[in-house]
Amino acid sequence: MSTPAIAIRNLTKVFPIPFRRDRVVAVRDLSLEVAPGQVYGLLGPNGSGKSTTMKIVLGLISPSAGRTEIFGRDSQIVDSHEEVGFLPENPYFYKYLTGMETLRFYGKLCGLRGAQLADKAGELLKLVGLEHARDRRLGGYSKGMLQRIGLAQALIQDPRLLVLDEPTAGVDPRGSAEIRDLIVGCKDRGITVLLCSHLLGQVQEICDRIGILDRGILVREGKLEELISIEDQTEMIFRDAPPALLAEIQQLVAKSYPQVNLLETRKPQTTLERYFLEVTTAAKAKG
Amino acid sequence: MKIDEGIAQATPSLGSRRRQYSSYAIAALMVLVFGAARLPFEAGLTRQHRAASFGNVQLNLGLRAKIGQLGFLAALSGFRTLVADLLWIQAHTAWEKVEYGRMNLMLNTVTTLAPHNVNFWDLSAWHMAYNASVAAFNDSKQPKLVRRLQAQHQYFMVGKDFLERGIANNPGAYVLHQSLGAIYRDKLEDHWNAFLEYDKAAAFARAPTYEKRFAAYELAKVPGRERQAWERLKRLYDMGPQERLPTLEKSLKAMEEALSLPEEQRVYKTPVQNPLDIIGKKLQIP
Amino acid sequence: MDAPLSAFSPRAATVQHRFFSPGRVWALATNTLTELIRLKIFYFLLLFALLLIGSSAFLVQLSFQDQFQMLKDVSLGAMSIFTSLLAILATSGLLPKDIEDRTLYTILAKPVSRLEYLMGKLSGVVLLLFVSMLLMGVMFAAVLFWRVHVVTGELVTGGGPQELIDQQLRDLHATAYNPNVWAGGLVIYAKACLLASLTMFISTFASSSIFTVIVTVVIYFIGHLQATARDYWQVSNGAAMGHLTKAFLAFVSLVFPDLQLFNLVDEIVVGTPIAAWLLYKTLGLGLMYFLIYLLAAFFVFSNKEL
Ligand SMILES: Nc1ncnc2c1ncn2[C@@H]1O[C@H](COP(=O)(O)OP(=O)(O)OP(=O)(O)O)[C@@H](O)[C@H]1O
Ligand SMILES: [Mg+2]
Repeated sequence: MSTPAIAIRNLTKVFPIPFRRDRVVAVRDLSLEVAPGQVYGLLGPNGSGKSTTMKIVLGLISPSAGRTEIFGRDSQIVDSHEEVGFLPENPYFYKYLTGMETLRFYGKLCGLRGAQLADKAGELLKLVGLEHARDRRLGGYSKGMLQRIGLAQALIQDPRLLVLDEPTAGVDPRGSAEIRDLIVGCKDRGITVLLCSHLLGQVQEICDRIGILDRGILVREGKLEELISIEDQTEMIFRDAPPALLAEIQQLVAKSYPQVNLLETRKPQTTLERYFLEVTTAAKAKG
Repeated sequence: MKIDEGIAQATPSLGSRRRQYSSYAIAALMVLVFGAARLPFEAGLTRQHRAASFGNVQLNLGLRAKIGQLGFLAALSGFRTLVADLLWIQAHTAWEKVEYGRMNLMLNTVTTLAPHNVNFWDLSAWHMAYNASVAAFNDSKQPKLVRRLQAQHQYFMVGKDFLERGIANNPGAYVLHQSLGAIYRDKLEDHWNAFLEYDKAAAFARAPTYEKRFAAYELAKVPGRERQAWERLKRLYDMGPQERLPTLEKSLKAMEEALSLPEEQRVYKTPVQNPLDIIGKKLQIP
Repeated sequence: MDAPLSAFSPRAATVQHRFFSPGRVWALATNTLTELIRLKIFYFLLLFALLLIGSSAFLVQLSFQDQFQMLKDVSLGAMSIFTSLLAILATSGLLPKDIEDRTLYTILAKPVSRLEYLMGKLSGVVLLLFVSMLLMGVMFAAVLFWRVHVVTGELVTGGGPQELIDQQLRDLHATAYNPNVWAGGLVIYAKACLLASLTMFISTFASSSIFTVIVTVVIYFIGHLQATARDYWQVSNGAAMGHLTKAFLAFVSLVFPDLQLFNLVDEIVVGTPIAAWLLYKTLGLGLMYFLIYLLAAFFVFSNKEL
């Protein structure tokens, strides 16, 4: 078995509350593994310890107990950061740098230099759709644009692992969909992704595996399909079915299979997201 | 339910907090150990700085009272001479208002703050001996001449005192000897001491050549020193035409006459007298 | 996002990490310098220029010895206070800002050690101080040359015996172009760097940048009295002195830096010669302070909860 991309073993994190003798247990005895190439979704309500877990995985804060590893290297040691790209929640970069300068700065921190770095930064700006804003200072970026530059920054050194804390927060549905595609692209390239998000629809679309945290405790963990498929139900969707056909099916069910319950019959709706994308794409094509 | 069980568990301890405090302790220890290690070095360096006359000013409470809290704070934190400069300018204002008593106090503070500024000593002395003394002599509020003369003399002495302290602080400054010589010469009419000061000034390699002449002129005015004076003057005269200034020639001539030198040793020979001149002079007398 | 995904693909092999990389420190340093420059911090130089020009205009009425004396006093005094203030103010904000804005997370998530981060930030300030010293030095030299030029003209056209004029010109050049002034500038720079390092150290455990500034300024003032406390403590060892007083003096001597040792400028300006070894010793001491404070900062910062 290959080394897991991320291994979290018996992790506990306690925060003191200033000026009180009380303390907050943000994560309690958490253990999980993310296999290489997987997209792992960490879910949970606000304050359940998702961001704390990620920060510990990146060695930004130290665990109170337990340990975390990235590709087998202790994440408290700087070595392990060579292969990780991190997008913190509500990222906020140096306001006085332009988009291009920001990427070059982070690239240099990863040991990239010269033309290679310039090319890479240019490509990534194009990738996250910020080419038009490459020479604008980040002080003038919108929230979603900051999120995008944050994603580009995380990808600058071609990491093997991406840790994304709410990558779609504040991003418009189009950007959100684009980021989703990007993550899927990363996965196709073999990049491991640890993700946390409140957009469950998206998580469902892209994650292989999920873990659900509640008040610092991992309450459920496993393969996505296994966790959410409803084994005893079946959906059928027809196009152009005449009412007569539907009536016939209902009769058949009632007559021949008394043990089967027809729970509901309805017209599927397009999702608001799909509708929004259709409309804005149309607008874009016209403009 | 599972969650509540979890919360009910004993609260884990704060490992990272302890690490953080121990790092504070390490840092504090480092600062202390470094403090102990640098102590002898800094004490030595301070001694060496003082030996090279860096920062040997006693910033005591007396000074604190004179320059005020702000000035004292500034003086403490490395702007001593800047404070001195400002006070110097203030002293100038006092001069313009003819407040010599106040000016004297301020000049004392200035020179205390910047004891290695030769110029401050020199000009302070000049202000006291030349300006304040004249003002004291002309003081219309003091009708008694004796008192006015007394006050004038006091200011001469204040000037002299500035220069003497200045010399003590700046052994290399020939200018201060020159100025002291001038006070002896012009104000105190003590030509022997004037000679001594000019002579000290002349001894410096950087001193201009006129110091030697000034010394010789003064010596010539001291009764009983005509021989030495003549030797010095003659030596200067022999150095070439650039030294043969009118005062030198006059002084040399006076010495030759005072010593009644034989004709062949004299620079200024007794002119062969024209009989007609004698007749002319004689004719004018009655 | 139509770009081909070839733009990123994971590295094949495990990347070798370098324990310490000057390149990363340099990237952080130049970034910090950029930040400080774009904060328009150099506007203070305008103030310096005004001070220079204003004072030299004002000093015209004084004798030329006084004039150059005060020009040097004012310039070096201003350099000293500007660089010290700059060092304290610029450094005190760096760490709190990065922590508050969480930019620190994005940096430390890259293969950057905390030591490299601190060194980079501090080097940025050191660079800034260097550039400001350089600019102030150039301005000062320009005004000096200009004044010498003017005064020379006045002396030559003023008349008087040639001997006296020559003497005065010699005096003028000796006063104006005293090479020791540059040694004074070096010591000012060393002091400013020391203060930057000290400020960085304090900001690693301070709760806010205001706190850092206040503490550093207090240390600045006490640091100029440290020598007095040390003398008192060491000289009057046997003398009748309360234990409390003694402990206090020992505390001041051991904890506070001796900043008085970096105050050579006062005397340098009036022409007291400074021996090379004395200068080196003083600069060496400054470097020691710089490194020790950096190391102490690293110890605190490496275990700090961000
Ligand atoms: N630096 C800190 N000091 C004290 N408590 C903290 C700190 N950081 C996080 N916590 C606490 O730890 C718990 C978990 O916080 P965390 O940010 O990990 O939640 P989250 O799951 O990311 O929430 P969200 O969905 O809102 O982002 C919260 O109760 C929070 O108050
Ligand atoms: Mg969070």
